[in-house]
Amino acid sequence: MNLYLNQIAAIVWKDFVTELKTRELLSAMFIFALLVILIFIFSINLSIVKASEVGPGILWVAFLFAGTIGLNRSFMLEKENGCLMGLMLVPADRTTIYFGKLISNLIFLSIMELFILPLFMIFFNIDLLSHLGPLLVVVFLGTLGFCALGTLLSSLSANLKTREIMLPILLYPLLIPIIIGAVRMTGQILDGTELADMMKWVGLTASFDIIYIGVSIMTIDHILEE
Amino acid sequence: MESLENAIEVRHLRKAFGTLKAVDGIDFELKQGEFLTVFGPNGAGKTTLIKILAGLTRPSSGTAKVAGFDVAEGHPEMRKEIGIISHATALYADLTPLENLIFFARMHGLKQPEDRALKVIDEVGLSPRRNDRVRTFSRGMLQRLSIARAVLHDPAILFLDEPFTGLDLHATNVLKEHLQRLHDRHRTILMTTHDISCGLEMCDKVALQVQGKFAFLENITDIDKDQFESIYFDAVRDNQFAMKIDF
Repeated sequence: MNLYLNQIAAIVWKDFVTELKTRELLSAMFIFALLVILIFIFSINLSIVKASEVGPGILWVAFLFAGTIGLNRSFMLEKENGCLMGLMLVPADRTTIYFGKLISNLIFLSIMELFILPLFMIFFNIDLLSHLGPLLVVVFLGTLGFCALGTLLSSLSANLKTREIMLPILLYPLLIPIIIGAVRMTGQILDGTELADMMKWVGLTASFDIIYIGVSIMTIDHILEE
Repeated sequence: MESLENAIEVRHLRKAFGTLKAVDGIDFELKQGEFLTVFGPNGAGKTTLIKILAGLTRPSSGTAKVAGFDVAEGHPEMRKEIGIISHATALYADLTPLENLIFFARMHGLKQPEDRALKVIDEVGLSPRRNDRVRTFSRGMLQRLSIARAVLHDPAILFLDEPFTGLDLHATNVLKEHLQRLHDRHRTILMTTHDISCGLEMCDKVALQVQGKFAFLENITDIDKDQFESIYFDAVRDNQFAMKIDF
């Protein structure tokens, strides 16, 4: 068990060191998410439309589109120079690769989201601070599901020539339950609903998170094999 | 590796990608410490053979045992016994050699990963560059670092897939020295190459793979090098299955 966790930690460490040197992933995700929010803020008349009604959807569009860039880049790192082959040759269960990449993706996306949330609050003039705790729980659940499925599918699409197109085509339809749950919960939180009053949605989102992780554990071996 | 007579055993091995038979019925054994060079034209299935033996892809039929493990079962323990050097370096370009090797040492579960990484970096003569990004390395330096990565965990069996590709004369000689050292340390080596002189120089056995099959497999002492060269070039030109050759 110790070795298993150390191997996962090694993959996360490797991704972090790479990102510290290149700063490619976080900067690309942050700029893209910011761009999405800016485009919407300039195209919506907030004196007519209530910010808390359109805001959650816009926020999650920004997260998902920016996150897709991150997922694509994440496995491309392993494809360069045949590094994935190097990972496949170590005496590790293939799920270590999955969990290592999942945790890396989750952390990078979460960092991006923590930078975007204050900007979202400012641009849309929505008070997030008074709902911060429940909001962070919802953002975590949604991001976990996105990363759980996205890590699996990015490992699949990394072998394809049209990977940048294929990943969103494969990913977004399967993410619908998570997206619906995350957007609905975000909207209800901004309306002042307590987290305890939306356990149906919390349960739905968390269930799909678990399903995505379970399916990934069962299939990652076959997907990574040539 | 436990004391096994055969480090590698292959029986009726086949691998098909759709209708393409990349490996089409290969049989051979390689004892511990032996060095087999496999020649063959492009598309003969040499890389596929190595990928099967390294556990990177499963055979369609037949069996292959490496270090006593059936490759089809994908035992993580098997991977402790093997290392691979190919034209893809399997190195992270934005990391330094030290960072790369510490990472792989941790993935192999080695104790004191940094010490081990420093030792193998020194063995391949890259200590002065251990903190430079791999992206800045020449092809020869990359290949030396690949060797370091492949031997980091001191495997008993090494697979080399066209390791001389793209190397200049100096780098080729350096690689040959490393391979000779590994051979002297009784490591089992299977190498594929187009370079006839390098391939014949160090090996104990020679095979010629054409269209997924071994046209022949002989001890180096039973080979006439000049005759082998002309047979090899005929196979490359015609890319046809050569009938069993009698020297």
